[in-house]
Amino acid sequence: MRISNVAVIAGVGATDFSKNSGRSELRLAAEAVTAALRDAGISPAEVDGFCTFVMDNNAENELQRAVGAGPLTFFSRIHYGGGGGCGAVQQAVLAVAAGIANVVVCYRAMNERSEYRFGGPTAGAPTSEGVVAAYHALHGLQTAGAKMAISMRRYMHETGARPEDFANVSLAARRHAAVNPAAFFYKKPITLDDYMNSKMIADPLRLLDCCQESDGGVAIVVTRRDHPAVSQRQAVSILAAAQGMAPGTFSLMNYYRDDISPRDEVALMARQLYEQSGLSARDMQVGIIYDHFGPAVLPSLEACGFCEPGEAKDFVKHRNVEIGGTLPINTHGGQLGEAYIHGMNGIVEAVRQVRGESVNQVANVHNVLVTSGSGVPTSGLILGKL
Amino acid sequence: MNAIAKPRPPISNRDFDFFYRGLSERRLLVQKCWECGRLRNPPSPMCAACCSLAIEYVECKGEGTVYSYTVHHHPALPGFSTPHSIVLVELDEGVRMIGAIAELGDPASVIGARVSIEWTRSDDVDSFRFVRNV
Repeated sequence: MRISNVAVIAGVGATDFSKNSGRSELRLAAEAVTAALRDAGISPAEVDGFCTFVMDNNAENELQRAVGAGPLTFFSRIHYGGGGGCGAVQQAVLAVAAGIANVVVCYRAMNERSEYRFGGPTAGAPTSEGVVAAYHALHGLQTAGAKMAISMRRYMHETGARPEDFANVSLAARRHAAVNPAAFFYKKPITLDDYMNSKMIADPLRLLDCCQESDGGVAIVVTRRDHPAVSQRQAVSILAAAQGMAPGTFSLMNYYRDDISPRDEVALMARQLYEQSGLSARDMQVGIIYDHFGPAVLPSLEACGFCEPGEAKDFVKHRNVEIGGTLPINTHGGQLGEAYIHGMNGIVEAVRQVRGESVNQVANVHNVLVTSGSGVPTSGLILGKL
Repeated sequence: MNAIAKPRPPISNRDFDFFYRGLSERRLLVQKCWECGRLRNPPSPMCAACCSLAIEYVECKGEGTVYSYTVHHHPALPGFSTPHSIVLVELDEGVRMIGAIAELGDPASVIGARVSIEWTRSDDVDSFRFVRNV
C-alpha cells in the first residue's frame, strides 16, 4: 500500500503566537483545532482521530472533550519532541490510508515560553533516555544549544563553514519575518553586524542562531482525498510523509556515530520522501527547513539533496534561500523569526505556499518539502497541489 | 545543622552504575562485549554487534584526541561556572567520550589536540575532566 497522494490537508488553524498566551494549553489546542476545522469546513463531531507529538501536555481525550469531537478510532503520539511534527501528520496519513479513521487532526499547543522554556538545563528521571542525558550532564552538557553546538563545531571543521555562512540563514529568516504580521519579529529584520555582535550562547551558536521560545497552538486537519469537504482551492495533497532515525541517533547527543552533524537522520527521512513521491530535490520550489538552530539548516539542506555535502555554506550565500533565490526557505520567517511551535507553524506555511496564500508567496509552487527537528529522530513531508 | 551541600549523584540505573562506581575509584571504565570484544559507549545493556548480554569492562587511560568542543555561556548551569568548556574526545581505546576541559586553550588548535584526564570531586560528586597535553 503506497501512501503518496491518498490523504490531504483539508484545513489549518493557529492561535496568535506570543511570549505569554494568558490561557491554558488546552484552550490553545481547542482554539487551533476548531480554527483548522472551520478552515476545512468539517465539524468537530466528524473528527475520529487525533495525533500529536511528545512534550505536548494536551491529552487526546481532553481535546475530544473540549471541542466535542466524535468517537475516536485513532489516537497516536510521536516521540522525540521537535523531530515529531511531520511524524504526527504521517500517522494521520497512515490512519486515513488504512481506513482506520476519516478525519484526523494533528495538533501542538504549548505555553513553552511562559511555562517551560526549553532552552534551559533539563532534569531527568532514570529512563533509558534520562540516564544517557545524565551521563552527559555530569560534565555540564545540559542544554539543547550546547549539545547542538558540539555537532555544529565539528561540521564547521569538516566543511569550512564559518559564522558568516550561518548568518545567512538568520538574515533570511528575519527578512521573511519582517513582512509577516504573525511573526514575533514583524518589521524587525537584522543585519550581519547584528548577527556577529549577538551574544554567544554555546560556541559556535549565538543568540541569533537560536529559535525563539513561544506560546501558541497549531492544528492541521488530515482527511481522505475524496472527503466531500475537500475543495480544489483549500486542500493540499500529502505527496510523501516519512520518519528517520539513523543508527547512533540520540536526542542531540549524536556524538558516537561517524558523522556527528545533524544530517544522517534527515538524509534517511528525505530518501523516503523522494521514493514515495517519485520527486527529487529539483522539483521543490520552497523548503521549510527546521530551524531550531539556524546553523543546522546547512546540513539539512545537504541531507535533502538541495546541494552536495559540505556545500551548503555556498548554497546559502547571495540570498539564494530567500524570496528571489533558487530555493526560498522558511518564508514565514521560520522558528527564528515567526514563532517556535515545534515545526507545526512551518507545516502551515507550506500549506499556504501550495495554496498561493503566503505573505512571501513564491511563484508557481507545485511542491514544498518540510523537515522536522534534526539532530533528533526526525520526520518530514512533501506537500503539493491536489 | 549539617551545612554541607547534599551530594547530587547523577541519575543512573543498573546499566550505568558501573561507570559512576568506577569514577569514585578513579577508574575510567567503558563496557566491552565479553563475546565479541567490541567496546561501546555510551553504556548499553546489550552488544549491538552480536546481541550478547555478557559484559566486561576496560579501564581507559583517559588519553585521546579532541574531536569537537563547545563553550557554554548561557544560561547559568547549576554546579558549574560559566563560560564552561566541554570537549568530545576520541579516546585511544577507540570510543568517544564527553568531558569538561579545564582550559580550552587556542580554539584554532583544539580539534586534533591531544588530551589526558585529571580526577575531580565537586559537591561530593566524583568525576573527571580533560586537560590539553603540553
